[in-house]
Amino acid sequence: MTAALRFTDVHKRYGRREVLAGISLELAPGGRLGLIGPAAVGKSVICKLACGLEAPDRGMIEVLANHVVGKRESELGALRRRIGMLFQNYALFDFLTVANNVAFPLEQRGGMTAEEIEAKVAERLRAVGLAGSEHKLTAELSGGMKKRVGIARATVADAEIVIYDEPTAGLDPVTTQKIYDLLAADQARTGATVLAVSSDVVALAQFVDEIAFLYRGRIIYRGDAKTIADAPDPIVRQFVRGELTGPLEAA
Amino acid sequence: MSFVRTRIETVGGAVVDASRAVVELWQVYIGTLAGVVRGGGRRGELWRQLHAIGNKSLLFIVVTLGFIGMVMTYEACLQLARVTGDFSQVGSQYLRLIVSDFGPTLTGLMLATRVGAGIAAEIGSMKVTEQIDALRMSGVLPIDYLIVPRFLASLVMTLMLTVLGGAVMYGAGGLTAQYSFGVNPSLFFDLALIRPRHVILMCVKAVAYGAAIPVVSGFCGLRARGSSEGVGWATTAAVIGSSFSVIILDFVISATALFLTGGDL
Amino acid sequence: MSAAIRALGAGAIRIAEEVGGIVVLTGQVLRALVPPRIDWRELVKNLHKMGNRSVPIVVLTAFFAGGLMTLQSGPFVKKLGATSLAGWAAGYAVLREIGPILIALMFSGRVGANNTAELATMTVTEQLDGLRALAIDPVRFLVVPRVIAMMIMLVALTVIGDLVALLGASVVGRALLEIDWSTMYFSFADNLKPYDFLHGIYKSVAFGGAIAMSSCYFGVTVRGGAVGVGKAVNAAVVAAAVSIMLLDFFITYLSG
Repeated sequence: MTAALRFTDVHKRYGRREVLAGISLELAPGGRLGLIGPAAVGKSVICKLACGLEAPDRGMIEVLANHVVGKRESELGALRRRIGMLFQNYALFDFLTVANNVAFPLEQRGGMTAEEIEAKVAERLRAVGLAGSEHKLTAELSGGMKKRVGIARATVADAEIVIYDEPTAGLDPVTTQKIYDLLAADQARTGATVLAVSSDVVALAQFVDEIAFLYRGRIIYRGDAKTIADAPDPIVRQFVRGELTGPLEAA
Repeated sequence: MSFVRTRIETVGGAVVDASRAVVELWQVYIGTLAGVVRGGGRRGELWRQLHAIGNKSLLFIVVTLGFIGMVMTYEACLQLARVTGDFSQVGSQYLRLIVSDFGPTLTGLMLATRVGAGIAAEIGSMKVTEQIDALRMSGVLPIDYLIVPRFLASLVMTLMLTVLGGAVMYGAGGLTAQYSFGVNPSLFFDLALIRPRHVILMCVKAVAYGAAIPVVSGFCGLRARGSSEGVGWATTAAVIGSSFSVIILDFVISATALFLTGGDL
Repeated sequence: MSAAIRALGAGAIRIAEEVGGIVVLTGQVLRALVPPRIDWRELVKNLHKMGNRSVPIVVLTAFFAGGLMTLQSGPFVKKLGATSLAGWAAGYAVLREIGPILIALMFSGRVGANNTAELATMTVTEQLDGLRALAIDPVRFLVVPRVIAMMIMLVALTVIGDLVALLGASVVGRALLEIDWSTMYFSFADNLKPYDFLHGIYKSVAFGGAIAMSSCYFGVTVRGGAVGVGKAVNAAVVAAAVSIMLLDFFITYLSG
């Protein structure tokens, strides 16, 4: 069975800083992978590379068995519609209402009537607990609400692979739990492949099967999510347990 | 020796960056034209942009061009009074200059400031809040969705505002000539010197500026990086780039016209 | 119909608010100058920054503007055979009007907009509040040096720009209209008076003040995040452009 997502020796440099120095990973269809690591280490970059929003300097990236590197924007459109992405800062369209934001991917894809789209949008908003907010503008929403709209938009097109970049950053513990329950329910329903980036390791560990640790441009560990706190690598252990002393350099 | 080398590297680097930017700008321009041909713009968005660019700039253009029109006439009459005292040609010469140059160019400069800053600010904010990436994720081409409607609206509106601005300049000039120098309005408002080539020149310039401003500003907006500073930087670059484009285009078009007509403007 | 009147009224109120706000800020700046306790380091830093940034674009613009003036007046003058007046025609317009206005507009776009963006970003990231918490007056510390720097810089740039524009006028005259260097030079020297030059400089002082105050005002009164910064820069350049035109009118009329 071909991998849903495959990075092969990917390098990415911004100016003088080499952010990714040879990333290779594979994600089987239906698998759930969490990605953790210190701040600004390149987790969001991996998300963007997976969607072809940015191009790596070197290496191959295949999404759903399609090569992503070296393709023009117009060629990537069809593939992108099979990917759902939640951006770290929500990236909601501030000139559209909540309902239109969620409906956007469906409208662009075409092939659905207005009623079908409306029904799907209503179902998604209900699932994220925002029924009744259809006509609000994004400026009127709180951070948590914006996150949930973002999740609704990322999952509305029943994508085959969904990428969540910090789905619970800045949210209180109760809301965090609710969000992860929601993500788990969605994934169970659609069987989509999931890549989730998060700084909240404990909550993330309950949602994903495996966790990969990104450090200094490389994936230095990948293993079962439930036992991450006892990982053989001391750097990973220190990070996950939040200890102050250890081999992890001060940020 | 290494001091010289660093200097050369800096200048060389700047030239390479600038060339790359010009190439990207050209690509955006071609992309915009392709988008227009493809029929990529959204109908509703076009109306919204026509309103944003046209209606909202109306008062601004009227005020700025009105005042500059008064000043120019005042200065011209002042000089004429000093030299020849003959005001018979003032109105017709002034109109010729307005139609073939100052009307479109001053309107263009004012719009470069107002519309250029607006477009770059809007698109730039979208870029730094990742809305552009979100558009791309839904298979939308940002150039088609954002720049093409603004491009079409700008072409139309710049031409209309040029005509209006020119009329305001002429009218304000006439009032000034009458009240400050006693020039008879019927003497001033004289279309005798206007020939088709002047009108063609005006249209060519207005269309050129109308095309350049949204493309340059949209380009700057799409390149915004970082957060608030990125937006500020994009807006600044857009105003400068658009204004400078207007001046360069004016120069090139005027010089070309000069050659084509054998020095008879 | 009533909606249009309401919109017009709202617009008028907003403009009045902005003008009022700028006047208030101007008052604060003037008060901070008496006694003149200026942060010299900030002043020098800003002079350096603004000057460095704007010289290339101003020089380029001035060159082409001067050339344009010759393109416009040259053929006419040549037809009359009065090439000795070519320099006067172009030069007069440049020194008194085109030079100061165009350079001011470019300055507003390059330095004014940038300044607004900087101040706006500082406001949005609460750095101004931070200064106040340290008992430092943001107006005295940030705004005043920038206002002074911008006014000084614009005058200097206008002087340089005027000269480059005259050069541009000469180059175009020589290259495209075959008017001699010497003809142009004597045309300038004979017909342009020092007063014409100064007239342009008075204007650039006024323009500099207008650009500086507009730029700083919209920078420090910004609201909202990145979007607000964009809007602030937009408002600042528009206000500066209108002020330049208005001031040009009043100064021209008042000085005859």
